[in-house]
Amino acid sequence: MSAGETDIGGMDTPQSGLAARAGRAARWRTRQAVQFWLKWIMVALAYLFLHAPLVVVVGASLNGGGQFAAIQFPPVNPSLEWYFEIPARQFEALWLSFVVGAVAAVGAIAIGVPAALGLVRSNLPGKTFIAVVFRSPLQIPAVVSGIAFLQMYYMIGDATGFYAQGTFIGLAIGHVFIAIPYVVGPVTAILQRFDHRLEEAALSLGASPWRTFRRVTLPVIMPGVYAGGLYAFMVSFGDVPLSIFLTAPGYVTYPVELFFALENDFNPAILASGTLVILFCLAIMILVQRVVGLDTLLRVGGTGKGR
Amino acid sequence: MGVRSKGLAFISLFAIGLASVASAHAEQRFDGVVLRVATFGGSNKDVLDAAVSPKFAALGGKIEWVTGSPQSNLAKLIAARGKAPFDTMEILDAQLPDFAASDFLAPLDLEKIPNKQYLEDWQYDGKTMATWLTQETICYNTEKFKELGLPAPTTYKDLAVPALAGRTVIPDITSGGGLANFGGIVYAAGGDLRNVTPGLELIKSLKVLKFWSQGGETVTQFGSGDIYAAVVHAGWCVRAKNAGSPVQTVHPYINAEHTGVHKYGRQGVMKSSENYEAALWYINEYLSIETQTALAVKTGVFPTNKAVIARLGDDPTLKQMLELDPAKISKQLRVDYTDVSISDWVDQWNRSVVTN
Repeated sequence: MSAGETDIGGMDTPQSGLAARAGRAARWRTRQAVQFWLKWIMVALAYLFLHAPLVVVVGASLNGGGQFAAIQFPPVNPSLEWYFEIPARQFEALWLSFVVGAVAAVGAIAIGVPAALGLVRSNLPGKTFIAVVFRSPLQIPAVVSGIAFLQMYYMIGDATGFYAQGTFIGLAIGHVFIAIPYVVGPVTAILQRFDHRLEEAALSLGASPWRTFRRVTLPVIMPGVYAGGLYAFMVSFGDVPLSIFLTAPGYVTYPVELFFALENDFNPAILASGTLVILFCLAIMILVQRVVGLDTLLRVGGTGKGR
Repeated sequence: MGVRSKGLAFISLFAIGLASVASAHAEQRFDGVVLRVATFGGSNKDVLDAAVSPKFAALGGKIEWVTGSPQSNLAKLIAARGKAPFDTMEILDAQLPDFAASDFLAPLDLEKIPNKQYLEDWQYDGKTMATWLTQETICYNTEKFKELGLPAPTTYKDLAVPALAGRTVIPDITSGGGLANFGGIVYAAGGDLRNVTPGLELIKSLKVLKFWSQGGETVTQFGSGDIYAAVVHAGWCVRAKNAGSPVQTVHPYINAEHTGVHKYGRQGVMKSSENYEAALWYINEYLSIETQTALAVKTGVFPTNKAVIARLGDDPTLKQMLELDPAKISKQLRVDYTDVSISDWVDQWNRSVVTN
């Protein structure tokens, strides 16, 4: 050991200090690398967890070789044959689901936004109770709601002669009911953090209350409205338990059509139509992202501060 | 009687049957009638639609299919206080007490259902007619059992061996075949409809992988090798075999009186129906040789029409996997739900089986 490398009186020599720093840097780099890879492994696992079922559905839909009675993944004899076997009624059901979903989203927004404004800004007695009423569709099992709607429609029909069960109107009303909380929730969240000085400024500058709402309030709560509308559409589009009681020949939604088809047996054409729906939804999401920007639409937290 | 004579006799019988059906409906027209039929979805509806709808259309009417399980249709009926959104519906044997209590069904004019001649006496009453059976079996993978050195099972307790732990599935009590199979297991374990505890204990000893809610799951699980045995109706086992799995059915020994279990579905006409005559016509067509054959071949459910049962033996797979001997079928256990509290069964199941 040379004199320059000797530890004198417990003090590090310049060389040993450099070595220690290099060691710490190496450990830091290793830790960074481990953290980097751990992060990506976790992300990959999360994506795998989320998308593995979709991969199986898409893959199994390509299975060829005639009739089979079970899901086969990975596919054997890849083919598109099941895509040509999709029954026309599934396309009809799919179209109905889109229309009902859109109506449910619009209806839920039309009811949910004023409801959220009232819940946040009014001093109505029993406001808490009213808030619970608007949340109730989340707390009541959808199957119970379905039976209740069916009974209500028959009661109204007995009294008025108009029976809404098995009609588009009856189906849409039920879907609006279950979709409302998904609009009330996000819009209420935004309104509770709303900077009222923005409205006061508009009003003090001479804007009418309606113009203030349209030009100041609405743009701020719009991300919540978009998010709520999107959730409302998704809830409606995927609903089975409520729709089972409200559908009728000619008005069968896509999930109900699939549910009853799968309940009795298995047809691989279901995988093919499911794949088309997945691809369609993906295309819509990409289109919305390219045209408007999903992150903009869904930025529920942005309430105006700092803008 | 020689083979040829037997063949001629059978053809004659077949022709007489078809002729009687044809003559019974020769004068009947259903112009403008829209008959709403509640039935299962999927291939079941497709087969019925292909077999019956064109004939009804030829008589001037139209059939609309209300797809759904009998359970959901009963719920609709109750919610609608009997004003059904359909004219005729499928009814499970386990639902008969509910229908008897609720008075939703119209009496059947049996004279207008000549195809009842193909049924056993117990298969129809004043309000419903049996239209299909499912033979509830133990479906097992013959190769895996051989590998494990296990003999073919003869009854449920043969599945309670360590080698099959986590490799067996049975139906959940709330699934289509749940009640019938639970009844079979209870009897096989020495219990009865009022004392189901021995059955629950036997189920716990099976150490099942899961309780299936849809029979189709078992076909996939046999294919993937996840399970070696399943308590499931023979139709699913046939489908598993057709999908390439080396499976075979066993009609489980229940007790000295019964070997095998079956449940049956019936068809009834709703009291609120305004198309009573058309609904009777539909039931008659459902029981016809043509429709029953199509259902058996394409969906795997067992027909109630005796003439069709006799013909199923021509198919080697069906012959191998189904019980076709009427005498033996009549010996299979049919759970009588008249005195059964189904909610109590489900409650005991949930407390005993699901929580363990």
